[in-house]
Amino acid sequence: MTRLVFEYPPAWLWGLPLAAAALVLSVRSLRQYGRPWREGAVLAALRGTVLVALVILAACPVLVESEEDQKKSNWVVLLVDRSASMSLRHGDRSRDSEAVQLARSGLLPALKAADLRPQALLFAEDAASADGQQIAAAQPDGKQTNLARAIVRGMALSDRPPRAVIALTDGVATEDADNARAISALAEHRVPFFGIGCGREAGSQVLALEGVVAPPLASPKQEFQVAARLRATGGQETPRFDLLLLRDGRLAQKKAVSPGSGPRAWQESFSVTENDEKFYRYTVQLVPPTDPAIKCPATAASTMVRVKGEKEFRVLFVQGALTWDYKFIRLALSGDRTIKLSGLSRTASGSAFFESSDDEKDLVGGFPKTSEELAEFRVVVLSNLRPGDLNPAQQGLLAGFCGQFGGGVLMIGGPDTFNASWQGSRLEQLLPVRFASAGRRAVDGPSFRPQITSAALSHPVFQIGDGGDHRAAWANLPTFSQYAVVDSVKPGAQVWAVYPSAGGPDSGPPLMACQRYGAGLSAVICVQNFWRWRLAKPSDPQHFDRFWQQLFRYLAEGSHGLVAIEVPDQRMQPGPRIRLTVRRRPDPRTSQAAPQNYRVLVKDEKDRPVADQALALRPGASVEIAFPAQQPGLYAASVLDAAENVLASRSLEISDVSAEFNATARNMEALRQWAALSGGMAVRCEDCSDAGKLVREIKARAERPRQDMSRRTPVGVNGWVLAALAGCLCAEWSLRKRWELT
Amino acid sequence: MNRVLSLLGTTCAAACPQASRVLCVHLILAAICGAALAQPPGDRLASFFVGRVSYGQNAGRDCGDVGQAMAKLVAQVSTIPVQNERMVSLRDNAIFETPFLFMNGHNDFVLSGAELANLRTYLEHGGFLFASGCCTNPAFPAAWRRELSRVFPGQQVQAMPYDHPIYRSFYRIGRVRSLHRNVDVHLEGLFLKGRLAAVMCEDGLCCAFAMENRCNVGRGVSPEDGRKLALNIAVYAMTH
Repeated sequence: MTRLVFEYPPAWLWGLPLAAAALVLSVRSLRQYGRPWREGAVLAALRGTVLVALVILAACPVLVESEEDQKKSNWVVLLVDRSASMSLRHGDRSRDSEAVQLARSGLLPALKAADLRPQALLFAEDAASADGQQIAAAQPDGKQTNLARAIVRGMALSDRPPRAVIALTDGVATEDADNARAISALAEHRVPFFGIGCGREAGSQVLALEGVVAPPLASPKQEFQVAARLRATGGQETPRFDLLLLRDGRLAQKKAVSPGSGPRAWQESFSVTENDEKFYRYTVQLVPPTDPAIKCPATAASTMVRVKGEKEFRVLFVQGALTWDYKFIRLALSGDRTIKLSGLSRTASGSAFFESSDDEKDLVGGFPKTSEELAEFRVVVLSNLRPGDLNPAQQGLLAGFCGQFGGGVLMIGGPDTFNASWQGSRLEQLLPVRFASAGRRAVDGPSFRPQITSAALSHPVFQIGDGGDHRAAWANLPTFSQYAVVDSVKPGAQVWAVYPSAGGPDSGPPLMACQRYGAGLSAVICVQNFWRWRLAKPSDPQHFDRFWQQLFRYLAEGSHGLVAIEVPDQRMQPGPRIRLTVRRRPDPRTSQAAPQNYRVLVKDEKDRPVADQALALRPGASVEIAFPAQQPGLYAASVLDAAENVLASRSLEISDVSAEFNATARNMEALRQWAALSGGMAVRCEDCSDAGKLVREIKARAERPRQDMSRRTPVGVNGWVLAALAGCLCAEWSLRKRWELT
Repeated sequence: MNRVLSLLGTTCAAACPQASRVLCVHLILAAICGAALAQPPGDRLASFFVGRVSYGQNAGRDCGDVGQAMAKLVAQVSTIPVQNERMVSLRDNAIFETPFLFMNGHNDFVLSGAELANLRTYLEHGGFLFASGCCTNPAFPAAWRRELSRVFPGQQVQAMPYDHPIYRSFYRIGRVRSLHRNVDVHLEGLFLKGRLAAVMCEDGLCCAFAMENRCNVGRGVSPEDGRKLALNIAVYAMTH
């Protein structure tokens, strides 16, 4: 029912007397002219009309649409979730069977008995109408849960909004793009949402192989790691299972994994060494545990590694004085003939640097003076330097080396290295940390063992353990006595190690961090005497050596190769447009800026080309291409030059892994939020044994008058009323003119 | 002269063209040495110091302050702070905090099982051992060769020819003559996977650079050659 109310009633109290007084005064003034009473009455009526209209407008009239109209609707939307997470089991029942049983044997009859007509929809990524048989036969295989879209679809089934929306779901929504539309639809039509949560808060046990990580390029006879990214959810202990490593389809290695209890995400690594130069396809196969209660939505993932003899690359180690770090890093690299370390040490204040490399052809003049000279190196290490040791021009050279040409920069040392006087320098801009002020930089405290962050433990640089036991390898670090305090880590930087803190893991002052800076990478190690790790008696020197070899390879990654293939999307799913960016690296040594012709070739799992595109690139330029990938699988992208030489290659795993199993616990909180927004309620499925009582509660809430949500439409202030007022005033003015009363 | 001294000399010669190059170099070295030794003590591990080894029955006190003399030599070529020598026992885990060890002596010696194991781990992990027979006494070098072969069975201490980088790691040394024999003096080294892990000079090298040969008059190597060799060994140990 719609009714007119005035939001400012006092306007009547003072408005009407004022209007009456004004009208009396007006009539009295008209009588002074001695005109006939008929003319005075017409003018008084016109003026009175205007005055009364103004009083009405001052009282703020609004039309209030009450709940009466809504009550006339007698249908409800019943949403039944058929996303993959509904297939999870608790005991002998799955979530979808729980939902279907409640819908068919309890809810639907009770709704009909309450004279409410249900309109059922099955939903996952989208929603579609379904009858009882379709609901019973539906398979819970949807790859996403978009509850909001289902609400919008359900409410659009009829011109009249439904009495209520009831959803049978586990509350695990993985897509929220339509949330705003659904919320406004519920609010606009004042339709309450009732969520019935299926499943249990404890969550089901899920074991998933989320992907395989391996370096895209490896050297022959050089060990590298193929790591499987695994995720286990659920509170119970996950039983032991096997992982198989297949190389080009043939079993290469096998390992048994005991993941323990509780939810966790971790990596299991296989150490691999290849002799022949070619592409290798590595597939990790998860052999699910025999327990049928454990869901394994993804059991295989693949990647490709190109084994190719790499020309050596050079690392420039610049130190303000001879340091033991240099000696031990050199030792670490002695086992990798592709990384060559050149040292440049300051001998004394004011004197030149000298090179301690065996090859003394270059660097005779000290620190490189041009980009071309610096481009001979792929990584620059700075240790024990003070701001006076690198002038602004040299710092600018380093910034260009890293940001523009993709070089790596590492700063290592203690308080003397991370000197406060670097604050505001060009060097500080490119590093992942901000330097602390002088009072905070030196720390002499008890011995400490750096705590490696969880992000670092899954990083390729930190895969140093034998047989994939990297956590134990890092736990074997010796204690150190000094570290440099930095002010903060820059946004976007990744912290690799922290000072052990009582605030929990990963929360202490940063000791190791890394960030992308333009095309390159920069990193810091704020630990004094990091070399002690190798010399310490309990240490395994191979761990130290692997770390440094992998760190330098990682830092040099940005400047590797002439052409790079980059993937803008973090997770690629099947679709018509998978994007790739092909970038030609800038190189200060190539003086000609002429574009070169390249060919980008993308092949699918069966070696069939899905994209073959020619392009021309200048140094520093990039081009985005797209190719269709309708099927999940391992795709290979290559960039070829005019002579068909492979300049860059990259494997692309188009995975169809459902996000439904990332969180398996029933999410009642999400349902409560939907209910709170719309005046509905959320209940657990196991509390719905009496469907009749539930429907009565739904009906009562749907019919509950909610004044605060009534639709209130202001009236009076519109063009017609204003035109009428103006018309009255104009008519009065015209009549006064005609009757010569002005 | 090596390139560093050339660079230093060039700088100095530009400042005072009338002075001789050698005089300038020595003045600069003296100033640097004094400044470096005057640096305040900081983290000891961030500095160069010599771990003076006591082993077997030897207390590690032969030929006076050899470690201090080496630190002075290093201070001449680097801004790295230097520290006094530290006494460490081969049986002690403290050697794993000491990347540069020095051992010398006059007499025969035998290392215990614990000393052999510790030294093996130390050298495998990248530590460096510099040894010198005192006063050209042949008993110590013979024992050292024998004991090093016990540390790494199957490995032999080798004489190092003059084309080895250790002879040019700082000074470019073409030849070292013995003062009492008509022979060239060669350093001897133990190599682990191609890396020089331990080096020894049998001709009283420590007497030459630490005591100006006062204890070994007319024998061994000259004090100048001794200083050059010792400095080259220290720089080599810090860079390889």
